[in-house]
Amino acid sequence: MPIPSIPSHHSRFSPLPTSLLALTGLLGLGCRSDQVMHYRVPKEAVATHPDHPGHAEEGMPAQAPSGADLPQPPTPTAKGALKWSLPKGWSELPGEGMRFATLKTPISGRLEATVVVLPGPAGGELANVNRWRGQIGLPPLDEPGLAKSRVALKTKAGAVNVYDFTSEGQAKSRMVTGYISTPDGNTWFLKMTGDAAPVAKAKPDFMTLLGSLHLD
Amino acid sequence: MIKTYALRTWTFLKSLRLTIVLLSLLMALVVLCTLAQVEMGTAGAVNAYMRSFIVWRQFAALPFPIPIFPGAALVGLFLTINLAGRTLELQRTWAKAGLWLVHVGLVVLFAGEFVAGMMQVDTNLSIEVGQTVNYVQSYKNTELAVIDVTDPTWDEVYSVPDTALAKGGAIAIQGTPITLNVKRYFANAELSNLPPGAPPSLATAGVGTGVAVVERPLVSADNEMNQASVFVEPVASGHSYGVWLASVAMGAPQAFTHEGRTYTLAMRLRRQYLPYAFTLKQFRHDVYPGTDIPKNFSSLVQVVNPSRSESREVLIYMNQPLRYEGKTFYQASFGKNDTLSILSVVENPGWLLPYVSCVLVALGLLVHFAIVLRRSLKRRQGQKGA
Repeated sequence: MPIPSIPSHHSRFSPLPTSLLALTGLLGLGCRSDQVMHYRVPKEAVATHPDHPGHAEEGMPAQAPSGADLPQPPTPTAKGALKWSLPKGWSELPGEGMRFATLKTPISGRLEATVVVLPGPAGGELANVNRWRGQIGLPPLDEPGLAKSRVALKTKAGAVNVYDFTSEGQAKSRMVTGYISTPDGNTWFLKMTGDAAPVAKAKPDFMTLLGSLHLD
Repeated sequence: MIKTYALRTWTFLKSLRLTIVLLSLLMALVVLCTLAQVEMGTAGAVNAYMRSFIVWRQFAALPFPIPIFPGAALVGLFLTINLAGRTLELQRTWAKAGLWLVHVGLVVLFAGEFVAGMMQVDTNLSIEVGQTVNYVQSYKNTELAVIDVTDPTWDEVYSVPDTALAKGGAIAIQGTPITLNVKRYFANAELSNLPPGAPPSLATAGVGTGVAVVERPLVSADNEMNQASVFVEPVASGHSYGVWLASVAMGAPQAFTHEGRTYTLAMRLRRQYLPYAFTLKQFRHDVYPGTDIPKNFSSLVQVVNPSRSESREVLIYMNQPLRYEGKTFYQASFGKNDTLSILSVVENPGWLLPYVSCVLVALGLLVHFAIVLRRSLKRRQGQKGA
């Protein structure tokens, strides 16, 4: 804070040009470049950080096929869409954004169940499973590891590949997912994730839901 | 006439009354900014109130925002001028040396805040245990990353900042034959599956052909994120690869192949790649026994910098950041069941200025105290002598 001082009228300091110059300089520094930047970087070992802001929580593959081969996106309300029966006490909300549906369970605790549908192979089973594992801090699997983790469940809609992963660490997270391709070329992900205890409680009902899958 | 006007202005700018008005405005701004954080989030409120020259407000009845208050940058600028004016008024004598130091210290403090406001870059570095990361990413700013993924070892990353996308038009990607025609850019948008019967998407290739995009107002709250989205048409050697939708809301890159080289397109938080890399060796989240109350968060990282032939372990923990190559890495957050550590990264070229200011002010007060004490003791001695 300025301390009162003895007035003086002998100053030759010209403040206006100086402050204008300082202001112009500071404003100039504040401008950001619009230029395209180029970096050459080693390939990333882990592709995504789903816990960070800016990454879709669910729905997109880690690697997409090349443009010419990209299939058309799904029309989930059309004939051939996947249907299921809700277990007792469960309810269903229409999805928001890229999510097809959100399933509510009667179990308390941190737990979320979602349904997402994507066109075509949606990046492939291995890439998606590894993306899910990454979301709970587990390392990626290779093809033999994927086959070991897979449990095939027969339904009226075809075989559903079920995966059940539990994280390591102080507070364990668990994820149970169903992965199925429908004859219209779409891939469906039914995923239940949350703290290990509520997921364990809800798993029998979730498996019943997966077992009830059928085509419209 | 002009001289009289300039003199009056200068007298006003260095007046003590203006000092009091400016300090009152600063106090009001602190209160307003604190209240605004509820609605706008910390960064949004700080940018709107503290790091702007004018505080603008959009009223529903008006089609354009109107200025409602001077911003702290403007108040600070006037305060600096005011302080400089008052400093110059001090007698240039040794008796006033302490006061000179105090005033100069305060000017340095304000200058430091200006430098921080205009030049500080806040980013973060998110790293999982065992992972090696060589980039920091912005909290809010985004980029369209066009990545040549053809090489099995390296990626050629071409980053098109959101500010360039917002301007639209054709953007040539230097070093590649690709030009991006920006068809439409959304600073924030909501994406959903295109319902049957809806008008077709602008996109003609990729997943975006089945996605509906609706523009949304910008958000700035801490827990909200603008879903920047863009429709772009890559053109190479006169051939169009269709219009693609890239969005922050879509987690995966999409790709097209031109003359044997595969390019992915992904909208993501803006990255700054570093000439060094961090590997997270261990993350600790200690709690007080029998409770969930955090006691300590710490990240043990291996810093590898080939340009310095350096590879060493560093422990970053609460209140013990790592200062490295002009950046400061603070332990900020964690996730994924304690396997993910998030470091807040601050790059502020003026970080030393507040310290310099504190030293100058403290020194000035000490000097002034010593001068006054000496004068007082002399006076007493004089009185005793008399």
